[in-house]
Amino acid sequence: MITIRQARAGDQIGMQNCNLHNLPENYQMKYYLYHFATWPQLSFVAENEQGRVVGYVLAKMDDDAGAQPPLDGHITSLSVFGAKGVSLHVRVSNTAAYSLYKNTLKFEVDHTEEKYYADGEDAYAMKKDLTGMYLNEKNDLDF
Amino acid sequence: MPLQISQLPHKEQTLFRSALKLFEVRQYKKGLKTVEQILKKFPQHGESHAVKGLFLANLDRKDEGYASLRKGLEIDPNSSLCWQISGLVHRLDANYVESSKSFANALKTDSENIQILRDLAQMQVQLRQFDQLVETRLKLVKVNPGDPMFWLGLAVAHQMNKRKWKLNVAAMLSKSEFSELLLYKNWLMELNGDYNDALDNLKEIHSRIVDITAWKVQKARLLLQVGRKEVAAAAYQDLIERNPDNNEYVRGYLSCNGLDLANSADHSAIIEVLEMLEEQFPRSNSLKFLPLTFCEGDNFARAADKMAKHALRKGIPSLFTSFKSLYNDAAKSKALEDLFEKYHGAISSSKRFDNSTADEPESALVWILFYLAQHFDYHTDYERALSYIEMAISKSPETVELFMVKAKILKHAGDTQSARDTMDVARQMDIKDRFVNSKTVKYMLRNSEVDEAEKTMVMFVREDAPHKIQEIVDMQAIWYMQERGDAYNRLGDLGRALKQYHQVQVSFDAYYNDQFDFHQYSLRKFTMRSYVDILAVGGHSVLTPGLHCLGPRRHQPIPASDENKRVTRNGTSKQGNHTLSAGVGEAKPAAVDKDPSGSEYVESADLLADGLKFVEALEKFAGDQPQTHLSAFEVHLRMNKYFLVLKAINALKTADPAHPALIPWPKSYGALSGLDTYMTENAASLPHVLAACHALLAMDANANKERVKAAMLSAAAPEFGSARTIESLLAAKALAIKAGAEPSDIDKFAVAAKQVYPMSSCF
Repeated sequence: MITIRQARAGDQIGMQNCNLHNLPENYQMKYYLYHFATWPQLSFVAENEQGRVVGYVLAKMDDDAGAQPPLDGHITSLSVFGAKGVSLHVRVSNTAAYSLYKNTLKFEVDHTEEKYYADGEDAYAMKKDLTGMYLNEKNDLDF
Repeated sequence: MPLQISQLPHKEQTLFRSALKLFEVRQYKKGLKTVEQILKKFPQHGESHAVKGLFLANLDRKDEGYASLRKGLEIDPNSSLCWQISGLVHRLDANYVESSKSFANALKTDSENIQILRDLAQMQVQLRQFDQLVETRLKLVKVNPGDPMFWLGLAVAHQMNKRKWKLNVAAMLSKSEFSELLLYKNWLMELNGDYNDALDNLKEIHSRIVDITAWKVQKARLLLQVGRKEVAAAAYQDLIERNPDNNEYVRGYLSCNGLDLANSADHSAIIEVLEMLEEQFPRSNSLKFLPLTFCEGDNFARAADKMAKHALRKGIPSLFTSFKSLYNDAAKSKALEDLFEKYHGAISSSKRFDNSTADEPESALVWILFYLAQHFDYHTDYERALSYIEMAISKSPETVELFMVKAKILKHAGDTQSARDTMDVARQMDIKDRFVNSKTVKYMLRNSEVDEAEKTMVMFVREDAPHKIQEIVDMQAIWYMQERGDAYNRLGDLGRALKQYHQVQVSFDAYYNDQFDFHQYSLRKFTMRSYVDILAVGGHSVLTPGLHCLGPRRHQPIPASDENKRVTRNGTSKQGNHTLSAGVGEAKPAAVDKDPSGSEYVESADLLADGLKFVEALEKFAGDQPQTHLSAFEVHLRMNKYFLVLKAINALKTADPAHPALIPWPKSYGALSGLDTYMTENAASLPHVLAACHALLAMDANANKERVKAAMLSAAAPEFGSARTIESLLAAKALAIKAGAEPSDIDKFAVAAKQVYPMSSCF
């Protein structure tokens, strides 16, 4: 059974292993730790019954110098963090991922970035506006 | 009394100060020249020798650096500066133990030096010396109570010692930093057991919290903790709305209703609650699956039917993988077999399930066959598994997953060549998918095709990497290094195999060393909750999953890391808006591999001492795994360290009291008769017979070889049943050869093994 939850320190090796098997853009452990120590709220894992990481989202806040709040998040799951929007890049040829973002998660293509990937492939830069999400929450303080 | 800086002439004093400045701005060459100028005139100035050592070490002239440092300490053994430098030099080598000792010495004559206290604290936390850490942290807040970082550091130290501690948060911070700190403070209140205070506090801080999910989780948990179940249930319901696939939330919600998954009396009530939730959150897979874990009989069949039909209609390939954990229960496995065979019959004849209102999609049949293939593969009925997957392929010859499962079945059946070929067919169907590429690489390595695997692997290494293989190592692709090492090991190329395992060790060293900078960084970022998480698991279980590959897989102990090849500590520059700069270990360009055949490892002067380092790492990080202690046993025995041999045996007993390697040794019998009893009692268990044969050869290879040979050559006999795994049969073959089996004996053995694994090509 898969559970989806916030990533923990003990998940980082599993996330790296998952990334190395599946994706062409790879990172050293320190980069995962850097995400975890900086934006622990933003990264999630899907874990199976045996406790193995079978999927993950690694996310960060826009940390360009001079960016003013509210900031943008990169990748997903940022509504909890008061982000106004969230963005990501996806390979033009990756139709499965594209349809997940477009049809299931309702991202829009913002523009195409030529030769975004090291092998020369283009990327769709996709965006989703998060303003107004969770506006109608229950009164949290009534307890 | 050694020569003091104040006793030097003005000019040399100035030189000395400027040398220290040059170190701060990393001008090591210039600094070295400066300090050498002093030493020319005053060769008896100890601290100058130490500073010279620091520059040399940073210029990668380590041996000279240590020599110079030693000289400085000889002349001036009470100098705080000399000891501080000693700490810095050892830190460069990631020698945390020596570094920590040095900083502690430095404090003896300069007890309130903030820099040294901070460095010492960092060492102690890296070494998980939490007792001493508290003392250092207390001193730091005493010396400088105005720095919030020091108070945070103290809070962590108390927390790691499981001591109660309240944190006063009153610093000028950004909104998100402050939010993190408030949540940490609240967590500490919870750990102190002050649940009601913590709840009141949650209300107060609400408006300042950025990470609202964490706040809500905290609220729900605390409410449950104080027994306010109704409000807690609403809080969990709210969380489930955010993420209906989080089991922790679902469990929490059940607890609020007085229900516990572990209690079978609750199950029918739980089913009702879950059904209600599932209606509200139909997209949640967890809610659909959870009942399967505890339901039995008709309830199980009903829940499985619901989930399976949903997946088959939608064409979700991972259905078997999801169900696999249920197979520990034979009744459930049988129920699933019946269910899918029923589906197979119904869909083949009518295109409909029993309750379909219209024809099901064509693909449903393919996914049913796909499931059945994996089901019979699980039960080692490879012939049936293959016939199902072939049927599926004939109906849908362009679905990559089908070929991947076919390859997997062939692998389990022992036909590594066809498995690899089939996986390669899948790879070529979707050349851009790295997952199937990785699988192909793995299958090639299992078939001992190292070069072909490498060619396939580098297809996905970024184009601009100067050295593709080095890039794989730098990216810490542990699975690849491990499989590659195993392949070389099978091919008998010990040097290359050791080299791969060595690289795995380097990655694990790096994981541990990577944490070092976060002891400062996390305190600066105020992300205390994740930092404490790093400390709690970071040194231990986080390293376990892959570490077992280091020790057990080889017959000879392996040498440990050498210093020249340490992975650089900085992250890659491409991603790196890193704000971390530890000031140690600057990145160096990837060096060309000077020893591709790994001869340095085979020719290492002290293989056993090197192997011991691996054993120590395994004992530290993978102490719960029996294989760790078997490796420890082998190494200590060869070193004649009998006390440690006994320790390994006892540790194995703790890890697995029924492990076959634990052969009882009744005092009243002679050695052999003890073994005889053991073999007679366990004659039908292949793992026990294997363990006994190991022991026989170890005790007296010459006297026992006929007996071992006979036992091992009949390892494929029917009475051993399902214990005849491919691995154990290969182990038996290896032992038979060790006991002097002739090629003709081995041929006969291969025929017998082939009867167990008719498709196999590995005997």
